[in-house]
Amino acid sequence: MTAAAGAHAIPDVLAVRDLKKSYGDVHVLDGIDLDVAPDEVLAVLGPSGCGKSTLLRLLAGLEPVDAGEIRIGDEEVGGPSPDRPMVAQGATLFPWLSLRGNLEWGPRATGHADPAAAADELLEATALTGFADVRPGQLSGGMRQRAAIAQVLANRPPVLLLDEPFGALDAQTRLRMHEWLRGLLAERPTTVVLVTHDVDEALLLGDRLALLSARPSHVVERIDVPFGAERARSTLSDPGFVALKARVLDLVLSA
Amino acid sequence: MSRVIPATGSETLHGQDTTEGDVSRRPDDASAPAPGPAVLLIPTPALAPPEPRTRRGRRRALGLVVPVALVALWALAGAAGFISPRLLPPPAAVAEAGWDFVAGESTATLPGVVPFDGAAARHVSASVARWLSGFALGVGVGVPLGLALGLSRRAGELLDPLVQALRSIPITAWLPITLVWFGLSEGAARYLVFIGALFPIVIATADSAARVPRALVDTALMLGTSRSALARRVYVPAALPGIVTGLRLGLTLGWMSVIVAELTGQTSGVGAMMFAAREIGRLDHIIVGMATFAVIGLAGDVVLRAVSRRFVAWSEG
Repeated sequence: MTAAAGAHAIPDVLAVRDLKKSYGDVHVLDGIDLDVAPDEVLAVLGPSGCGKSTLLRLLAGLEPVDAGEIRIGDEEVGGPSPDRPMVAQGATLFPWLSLRGNLEWGPRATGHADPAAAADELLEATALTGFADVRPGQLSGGMRQRAAIAQVLANRPPVLLLDEPFGALDAQTRLRMHEWLRGLLAERPTTVVLVTHDVDEALLLGDRLALLSARPSHVVERIDVPFGAERARSTLSDPGFVALKARVLDLVLSA
Repeated sequence: MSRVIPATGSETLHGQDTTEGDVSRRPDDASAPAPGPAVLLIPTPALAPPEPRTRRGRRRALGLVVPVALVALWALAGAAGFISPRLLPPPAAVAEAGWDFVAGESTATLPGVVPFDGAAARHVSASVARWLSGFALGVGVGVPLGLALGLSRRAGELLDPLVQALRSIPITAWLPITLVWFGLSEGAARYLVFIGALFPIVIATADSAARVPRALVDTALMLGTSRSALARRVYVPAALPGIVTGLRLGLTLGWMSVIVAELTGQTSGVGAMMFAAREIGRLDHIIVGMATFAVIGLAGDVVLRAVSRRFVAWSEG
């Protein structure tokens, strides 16, 4: 067996084939194909209203597909599962529970991890250790988004789906969140599909980009992001970054 | 009898699916308007943000100004002879009757005669027992029924029109059929209180269960929560503030039904005392009964709020 064949033996974690979805007469997705390799971050960009969020809801199993197929490893996606949770911009923490209670919810439900240990670890990873007994309503927006991501990571999912997770935050907080998420994913390699309309976010966090067309949408372009793991705020002013951002913006706006 | 529409009541039990915008809503954004006058049926205080002690004290003191002025006016008008004591006895006479009611020497009475002097404990405990047993029945039936209506579209479609129609029947209009069914009995009294308490509880529970944000349920499922555990782990806790509002309304309406319930031939109960007082023309006794209703009803609401506070504190910001 050659090295190339060996590399091929690792299947894509997430494979989407010819995915279609309509709401009544509105054709939202018209044959989406995506492949996401293990521990890769795929950023999905596209014009407003192109069905990026719909795509993610289908991947999460929150809505049925009309046609096509979604596979995680060897399994076809059915309903919602702790193996591919989605976090959207309105943090969906349980408001009646403390932060710790929220973080322990997943492991308690699945038995995938020890609830208390998982919560301790994630409180530390989110720099929220001092807020363990605080209810979500008393946290800031950035804290709640970190907590919402930590909540689903407590089950150690192989795939994480993020739908504009930092969209409701101010620009500075968002930059801090990007650095935080990069650090978190470096510590806990996870396959991520990140839907965003923010090109900076896509280029700072993504290993690859998939660009969707306007509705009914399909993938018009796939781009490898040439920046390594050491991306940081300074990358934003790197000439290569600026040039790529200009190209991606052109593609998004003409899609 | 006036109808009271629950604050959270809606025409239909199934609202639009809640959008994600609601999910990010901070509890403090959702808080009720600033605390108004202490009107029992408008459940603002539980939802209102806490206010500084001194300001609250001043507000409460301010709330006493008008009642004190009215009592003074009442006393003056009586003393000046503007009001006949047969239409409205002076406050001093009512206060004296109140004292007799609570602490007067009770006299042996013939069966079927409703005592007054020293009978406060007997009447209040009889009324409160009817109230609480009817209310407990209302909770036992109303909360599960409301959850079914709010969570199952089919149950909502089947039962919503019936519930909306039945809740439009004034409690007094239930009296004749209740008397036929139960006769002049304690059962009739409890049934009327139950009916009075039931509908606000059903409607508020159904409404708040139907409004639980979809995203919260999705999150629970994506965390591995089983569908069979959703009601217990997500819907009930998320709907609890709305359910408590329904319980408060049910408790108040149940208390209002007690007076109707005591038209069922009771010889004990605050309402029974008042009807007996009307027969013998004792207006002072009737006013004492009205004041008793006010005090007990208010006390019940205060107790329920205090008991429920720790369960719904999260929704108060």
